[in-house]
Amino acid sequence: MENLAGKNRGKNGANTNYWLGGIAAAFLGLGAFFLANGRGHAVAQPNIPLVDPKFIATTPWRETYADMVKANEDLSDYDCYGCHERKNPPPIRYDANQKIIIPKEHADIVMAHGAHDRNNLCYNCHNEQNLLTLQVRDGREIKFDNIPQLCGSCHGPTLRDWEAGAHGRTSGYWNRSLGGIQRLSCANCHNPHSPRIPTREPAPGPYPLRGPSPASANPETSP
Amino acid sequence: MTRRNFLRGAAAVSGLTALAASLSPLLELSDFTNVDQFMQKYYKELTPDEMAKVLKRIEGEVQRQYGIRPHVRDYKPMDGVEFVYCLNLTRCIGCRKCVHACVAENNQSRNPEIQYIRVLKLPHGSLDMDKADHNYAPAAVPEPGFFYMPVQCQQCKNPPCVKVCPVHATWQETDGITVIDYSWCIGCRYCEAACPYFARRFNFADPEIPKNRLNPNMSYLGNRPRKRGVMEKCHFCIQRTRAGRYPACVEVCPVGARKFGNILDPESEVSYILREKRIFIQLKEEMGTSPRFFYYFDV
Repeated sequence: MENLAGKNRGKNGANTNYWLGGIAAAFLGLGAFFLANGRGHAVAQPNIPLVDPKFIATTPWRETYADMVKANEDLSDYDCYGCHERKNPPPIRYDANQKIIIPKEHADIVMAHGAHDRNNLCYNCHNEQNLLTLQVRDGREIKFDNIPQLCGSCHGPTLRDWEAGAHGRTSGYWNRSLGGIQRLSCANCHNPHSPRIPTREPAPGPYPLRGPSPASANPETSP
Repeated sequence: MTRRNFLRGAAAVSGLTALAASLSPLLELSDFTNVDQFMQKYYKELTPDEMAKVLKRIEGEVQRQYGIRPHVRDYKPMDGVEFVYCLNLTRCIGCRKCVHACVAENNQSRNPEIQYIRVLKLPHGSLDMDKADHNYAPAAVPEPGFFYMPVQCQQCKNPPCVKVCPVHATWQETDGITVIDYSWCIGCRYCEAACPYFARRFNFADPEIPKNRLNPNMSYLGNRPRKRGVMEKCHFCIQRTRAGRYPACVEVCPVGARKFGNILDPESEVSYILREKRIFIQLKEEMGTSPRFFYYFDV
């Protein structure tokens, strides 16, 4: 072995020890850097507000007359013969354009059952002989706690679906041997005078992992 | 010092330094696994006694973390039951109540947000997912000219996620639910890549559940709180359905668009729908996954 001590020079002038020392120092420095910066930096998380509990509530949209009776609520507003006379059904009035005139006592009613004002007669459903009940066109008298039979007298396929559990929400037990179910009546969702389901506010959309929640980003579907 | 010794020393020191630097994530390790958790056997090999011990341990962990003692059960599938889901696209109004009811029922992380259900807003006349809007936020739904399609795990009969899991942490049970054992999942996310429906969610960070919104009725394969690094997905509310009840999304849907039940029971709603209705869609049918989710229209 040739003696290189004191000169640090290889055959071709390479400063081997300096190189080795430099590389080792570089690695040590890199190691120190990794140790110091190895901790993950917390990414600023977006502030995602908790959802409003109204979006997980299961209460039906409407309360029917039968619900109110069951809950022993104040029914004085629904006492028809408090204002009307027995044996004297109130006449239905129409204006010059064949549009029904809603009397001011019933101003909260908006008649929109059937397109083109087809269902424009109160006594199509309400029983003029007994205002406390309803009637079907074939002459049957329907009580207010048995509404589906009235609605189903015209909306047959929907009634069939509802009776099978396929129309409207069914809650409770799918396994009927373990528990019961709760069904809703037609008027729990549909206003009988304007049954089309109104539009309502949706719950907030999804938040991505990073960054703000994008507003409707797809131009093809944004209005 | 000889060159050889210097080289040996330098290699040793730099190797040790590199090792120390690579171990730096240990500095962040907050929830190192305890012995019981580490030595837990595969779910299908646990005896009932061992499972009882596991459930007790989980109850203790949840109590320590959230201050609420939950009830963690291991529900087994019922005989003669195969679950099927029917979703009425004529009725869905896109209110997203199902999304949030699911989150509340199944103890999903609120931040970062995990939601098993994603509601797509599609224009009338097409099922082209490229036209789907995930982030619609109008003042009122439904908007004219669009329909809404909520998508969650389709619990496929031929699940690609089960095929690709390298550790069998996910499998399909006899009642049709594809389940995940959160204690066995290694977080490789192969299943997320394999799923055509974006059903699988990954916990990229420690899940955050507000204490006052924790659902204490838990099941081992269902809604017990997960930890960072494992997959989760819709499991048909296994803690509810295996006790005979409807999933949370069915219970909350205000228009009754969601129907769930046992297809082997000819008197269930889902059997009625599959018999009587005429137009059915299974998403991405051509992929051969045979999903248990039937979207239909009311015509």
